[in-house]
Amino acid sequence: MIDRTQAPLPGPPRPYHFPHVTRATLANGLRVLVAQNHNAPLVSMRALVRSGADHDSPDVAGLASVVADLLDEGAGSRDGIKLTEDIGLLGGTLGTGADWDASYISLDILARYAHEAVEMFSDISSRATLPPDGLERVRAERITDILQQRDEPAAIAAKRFSGLLYGHGPYGVPMIGTADSVARISADDVRRFYRDHYIPNNTSVVVSGDIDPDQALKLVDEALGNWERGAEPPRPSIAPLAFEANRIYLVDRPTAVQSEIRIGHVGVARSSADYFPLSVMNALLGGIFNSRINLNLRERHGYTYGARSVFAFRRSAGPFVVAAPVRNEVTTESVQEVLGELRRIRTGDVEDQELEHTKSYLMGVFPATVQSASDIAGRLLDIELYGLPESYFEHYRESIGAVSKDDVERVAKKYIDPDRALIVIVGNAKQVREPLGTLGYPIHELDIDGNRIA
Amino acid sequence: MLNLEQYELGNGLRVVLNEDHSAPLVAVNLWYHVGSKNERPGRTGFAHLFEHMLFSGSQNVGNNEHFRYIQSVGGVLNGTTSFDRTNYFETLPSNYLALGLWLESDRMGFFLPALTQEKLDIQREVVKEERRQHYDNVPYGTSFERLLNLAYDPDYSYHWPTIGSMEDLGAASLDDVRDFFNTWYRPDNCTLTLVGDFVPDEAKRLVEDYFGGIAPAGAFPPFDLERMPQGSERREVFESPVQLPRLYRLYHLPKMGAADWIFGDLLSTVLASDKASRLDRVLVHEKQIAQDVAAYIIPTEASGMLILQATAREGVSIETIEQEIDAEIAKLARGGISEDELTRARNRAEIEHAHHVENYDERADIIGMFTTYFGDPEILNTWLEPYENATIDDVARTAAQYLVPENRATSLFLPQS
Repeated sequence: MIDRTQAPLPGPPRPYHFPHVTRATLANGLRVLVAQNHNAPLVSMRALVRSGADHDSPDVAGLASVVADLLDEGAGSRDGIKLTEDIGLLGGTLGTGADWDASYISLDILARYAHEAVEMFSDISSRATLPPDGLERVRAERITDILQQRDEPAAIAAKRFSGLLYGHGPYGVPMIGTADSVARISADDVRRFYRDHYIPNNTSVVVSGDIDPDQALKLVDEALGNWERGAEPPRPSIAPLAFEANRIYLVDRPTAVQSEIRIGHVGVARSSADYFPLSVMNALLGGIFNSRINLNLRERHGYTYGARSVFAFRRSAGPFVVAAPVRNEVTTESVQEVLGELRRIRTGDVEDQELEHTKSYLMGVFPATVQSASDIAGRLLDIELYGLPESYFEHYRESIGAVSKDDVERVAKKYIDPDRALIVIVGNAKQVREPLGTLGYPIHELDIDGNRIA
Repeated sequence: MLNLEQYELGNGLRVVLNEDHSAPLVAVNLWYHVGSKNERPGRTGFAHLFEHMLFSGSQNVGNNEHFRYIQSVGGVLNGTTSFDRTNYFETLPSNYLALGLWLESDRMGFFLPALTQEKLDIQREVVKEERRQHYDNVPYGTSFERLLNLAYDPDYSYHWPTIGSMEDLGAASLDDVRDFFNTWYRPDNCTLTLVGDFVPDEAKRLVEDYFGGIAPAGAFPPFDLERMPQGSERREVFESPVQLPRLYRLYHLPKMGAADWIFGDLLSTVLASDKASRLDRVLVHEKQIAQDVAAYIIPTEASGMLILQATAREGVSIETIEQEIDAEIAKLARGGISEDELTRARNRAEIEHAHHVENYDERADIIGMFTTYFGDPEILNTWLEPYENATIDDVARTAAQYLVPENRATSLFLPQS
């Protein structure tokens, strides 16, 4: 008979190895990484262009992502429809996009057609046609997207929080731009961005999945070996604003039945030497379901369906933010509870078991997050984007394991600041204004476009 | 071909094993054959609220300990509820298989002793916040609920969505929780699927040890409701705080897996999937009157549904959008589709299926689905055959037969005037 009163003990752990990676750099500077796996008859191809919305000047904010949106509007000898049809005939799914750090092309394809697909992948990377009528359509769609976000409380909260933290520049102006900035983007702007940034020596290509590494390297070399190199773009710098004390920005949304709360400040760059201690500290604080903030707001109080904290690790320091949608009546209590948790983690009250559980979660979960071809490709893109060591993911679990209680306390004290926090609340101002006043922080009221209201 | 082994315990628990040593992980997945379909009016949302309760501990597992046990060894876990089933799953480092089985069997066999009013009250609030976050506080959030209300009669339980209504959530009592558990959460109403790095004989021994002693129910209330044909189109216009008008359509189809459902799946891809698909190409790309269009079918067990939606561009009326959609559907039903269109739609089905088997967790989940809905996990290996055998005439005929006004419900969301 088994003893149900005790959790069963584990068997001996089985070894785990990150997939073997084959690397090459072509004569034109293009870096190529290949990882093989046979979970499914699929191949993932990714191009990472190491320039993103961080290059957008505020007057044409949204440029990098508009260029990315235009990549599938035509490439090589195909127009957008023909490109889509031909990829569809190979069982492919094409995606393009940009974030703050980089621009991306992804093509997932049935493995038996990988050979044919590389040609189109190469056209999109190096011979996009960026047609003017495509720009007009993408522009109109984008302006409509921006319009639609006016109804989405989470989007409004994110936009206001970033804007107040970083001001009128990258990380502050929305990545997708504003209606005005998108209206200003010209066909020349688009062509210039593509010409200056989509160059082999600013790009890495990753191929993963059910394909022989030597064959993949050969295919990429044949398709992209002639891509002409250019001058490597300079790296932009990002300058956040500073707050000297806690302050609340209340965005009125009279129809709201929940308050979207954002609390935080400027965080840390991806390159930080404290990356692993920060990852452990944040997981324990609010990064996972059983973290302090979620257990407090959700399981102890029933205020929310879920609350979490995030360090947005980017090339420059992105925000640290706690996000929680809570019902109107408990807005003030929720802000208090979050600030309380931010204060508590800085006191060094982390328990041994709590730390061990968090670390073993992060270590144990790693293999589950790199099963599919596209998961593996994503990790290799991280290595390329942030200049991580080649063996980074082979040693990932040891690096987490080495984090100590002192490390957690040290980084909490250094990087969490509950007395200089920006607090953004998108909600029903009439209902939450007065209770929020009891917190004693200055309250600035905004409309959903961010204009101050008296 | 994936190697599947299936068997049944003495108490009726169905077990499916798929041994695979490519990663040191094991996916543990349980499908209980109960969902919002089995609720009654006045207690809508209950199956989903119950799913939350099942994470709040059992006789040997404390409140919130289920999450802690699994996360603290590097596992990921969750549960979801739909019309027809409720699933619970975790992916664990493979040396922790016994832990997963212990936790799942403890809540299958020994849930009631740990139940308290306080736990119910907390989870009721959490679910209400879930409803506010995903339905009531976001644009178009109640669209699916409205469409279901319209398309199905009040006594047919697809009439309401799994989240249920605020009033009914408020009314759920501890007795309801006990009844629901005793009625449905039995081994003979469940499929347990294990995928990954284990030795089958050892896994079978553990499954027997942990689940073998749990008593079966023997019989379950049948779901014998029949959906009556609508007879004519059902429509509504709804004003809400949104910027742009949007059309939502539900077309009734046969249940999941039926030949016409498969053709309906292919048809939805031909209609709206990428920019070369019919509605995307005409409404979004060429005429530029729509911001977006989408078409998809939902994997429902009792009767099928094909959903269409389209958002009008600023300044474009919803009538224009609806006319264009209807014109394109009529053109397809009359003129058929090309071989290339069919090939692309088949390829998409193949890619989606490949993605489902790529990771242990999703593979275990669709094995659970095939076993629960069709009684046979082997369908995993033959699922694409009817897609491969479909012809262009099948797809056109499906459009002509099902995408007609008397078989649809239409809900139009308009900005508040």
